Amino acid sequence: MGAYLSTFASCIPTILYATLLAGQYTTPVIYCEVTAVFTNTAPVDAYRGAGRPEATYVVERLVHAAAVETGIAQDELRRRNFIRSFPYQTPVALMYDTGDYDACLDEAMKMADVKGFAARKDDAVKRGKLRGLGYASYIEACGIAPSNIAGALGARAGLFEAGEVRVNPTGGVTVFTGSHSHGQGHETTFSQIVASRLGIPIETVEIVHGDTGRVPFGMGTYGSRSLAVGGTAIMKAMDKIIAKGRKIAAHLLEAAETDIEFKDGKFTVAGTDRSKSFAEVALTAYVPHNYPLDKLEPGLDETAFYDPTNFTFPAGTHICEVEIDPETGVVQIVNFSACDDFGNIINPMIVEGQVHGGLAQGIGQALLECCVYDKESGQLLTGSYMDYAMPRSDDLPSFKVATKVTPCTHNPLGAKGCGEAGAIGAPAALMNAVHDALSASGVKYLDMPATPHRVWQALQSARQ
Amino acid sequence: MYVFEYQRAKSVADAAAALAKTGGKALAGGQSLVGAMKLRLANPGTLVDIAGIAGLKGIKQEGAAVVIGAMSTHADVASSAVVKKAIPALAALAEGIGDRQVRNRGTIGGSLANNDPAADYPAAVLALGATVQTNKRKIAADEFFKGMYETALGADEIITAVSFPVPKKAAYVKFPNPASRFALVGVFVAQTQSGVRVAVTGAAAHVHRATAIENALAKSFTADAAKAVKIPADHLNTDLHGSAEYRAHLVSVLASRAVTAAG
Repeated sequence: MGAYLSTFASCIPTILYATLLAGQYTTPVIYCEVTAVFTNTAPVDAYRGAGRPEATYVVERLVHAAAVETGIAQDELRRRNFIRSFPYQTPVALMYDTGDYDACLDEAMKMADVKGFAARKDDAVKRGKLRGLGYASYIEACGIAPSNIAGALGARAGLFEAGEVRVNPTGGVTVFTGSHSHGQGHETTFSQIVASRLGIPIETVEIVHGDTGRVPFGMGTYGSRSLAVGGTAIMKAMDKIIAKGRKIAAHLLEAAETDIEFKDGKFTVAGTDRSKSFAEVALTAYVPHNYPLDKLEPGLDETAFYDPTNFTFPAGTHICEVEIDPETGVVQIVNFSACDDFGNIINPMIVEGQVHGGLAQGIGQALLECCVYDKESGQLLTGSYMDYAMPRSDDLPSFKVATKVTPCTHNPLGAKGCGEAGAIGAPAALMNAVHDALSASGVKYLDMPATPHRVWQALQSARQ
Repeated sequence: MYVFEYQRAKSVADAAAALAKTGGKALAGGQSLVGAMKLRLANPGTLVDIAGIAGLKGIKQEGAAVVIGAMSTHADVASSAVVKKAIPALAALAEGIGDRQVRNRGTIGGSLANNDPAADYPAAVLALGATVQTNKRKIAADEFFKGMYETALGADEIITAVSFPVPKKAAYVKFPNPASRFALVGVFVAQTQSGVRVAVTGAAAHVHRATAIENALAKSFTADAAKAVKIPADHLNTDLHGSAEYRAHLVSVLASRAVTAAG
């Protein structure tokens, strides 16, 4: 835990870890006991993936080793154990709502050209290099979280999200969200869902976040939850806007409210061409001259608080191919393919960017990053970037990414979340590839990070 | 940063007088010194800026040598047509120092006077058997580097130029520290007019010649000959990025790769 408990410190190795140990597999019984200890080092806290990379690492390193031991192909052993019937209750508390693990594995194998690997490995051997292929079929629990479950597990906060949709008299919309955007592009993604749901131009949507003086009390951006939870709060607020809009439109069109349909930014009397635009209804709400004031408040401004009924379960398969120079221990990533299922995708470019960033972070962890303390003095030796190795662009390959979609069943967007997947799948895929490459030289076990020095040492030890 | 005085010298004599009087430090590109000052690892009292002195820049061929003015930046050396033609290994080394900002500010004279244990230039100077020219004398490479951050320079002695004899062939191969990208080990191999010289940076307290590899390459200038030499790990650095044994191993491997690269 480090020297004292920080915000999420005790959640990471417990509820964010043990609950993911089923992975994508039908393992019937799982028992996990975690011992948390205080140390005289910096306190730990949540970092992209938080607990889920560790769970994936344990499960996928085990599956890799089991496949090697049994002689069953890596993909085949995974396939034999994949969960295929949903909803699926795991032995570690979670209930997966949906998924298609074969689809991601198939696509990742195509992207990684697994069929051509043997030839590439032969070629590497001729050049004196070691080549390896590693898989990670990960699952994560996102969209955090049903507050009652979190509370039962010991969390002291509610984990809902809030969204306010304020329709202005012009028909433009201002959205106030508790999901802060610090580079994730919420301004774009949230605007897209609002423009799409209300049938209005995206330019007329403004997203306000990060100002507690303006936004309703929300819980924030973490755990890949912004779209699945924050986006859903906005959707629920829009449902209220549309419900009220139908009442106003019914009055203006002198029709029964039940006969009013809302589609493409128009309130229409079903089966007729009589309609009022979203902007006309908005103006009427604020200039209520012809308005059912006895039954309906003026204005068009709604807030929703959304508390999810379940976690979301993004999943996928990452395949990494490495080439190792046995003379220096340098691990080069020659190919990294990731196929992920994030449920419905609103903005593919933003999702791809999130995957790239997550992969870079996961690769950094597996290949380079390490906090080292001096054993005698307790001094942090990796106290600056002169000694703490961050991943740089030339440490990374050009990623191949793809997505498959099984929509989340319990939020209206069908979204699962994509922010952490890269960091969750990458360490296990990379280290499995490193172990595959080193296996011919007799190396059985190597811990992260696979720095040149450690890889070289492992090869030296195996030789003796 | 500690408080310091700043003086801008108009000539080398002016700078030397200021250094003698104040006991301060000469400021060239400031890429090592200013960083050390910011971390309070250096407290020079007075900085004597030599950037305004005419005649300390410039690169020219003089007979069988390339002479580089002390205030020439790494970028100047990397892009110099004279260096690229006569000693391409030196141009390539300069191109690999630090990052673009460092290469545009840092100077060859500053780097040599600083003598960082992991700097690149000292390896080139030592392997090529260069001569360091100062305001007082000419110092042979073998006499110049004395210890960690230590050189033969006196307190008021200023490097004015470095003269590199053109080798028959040469190459520098650097294995970067994964974090800082300084040389964890760097090996410069040169076949000079007076024999094979191999200099190693990054591996020990200061740059040094790998005589065992020089002897092997004198007999057979091949990658295999270099690789076959077992370098003892005694006196080499151990830190969190590499043990002395790893560095010793890398010296042979990089020397062999430098031989291949030298062609």
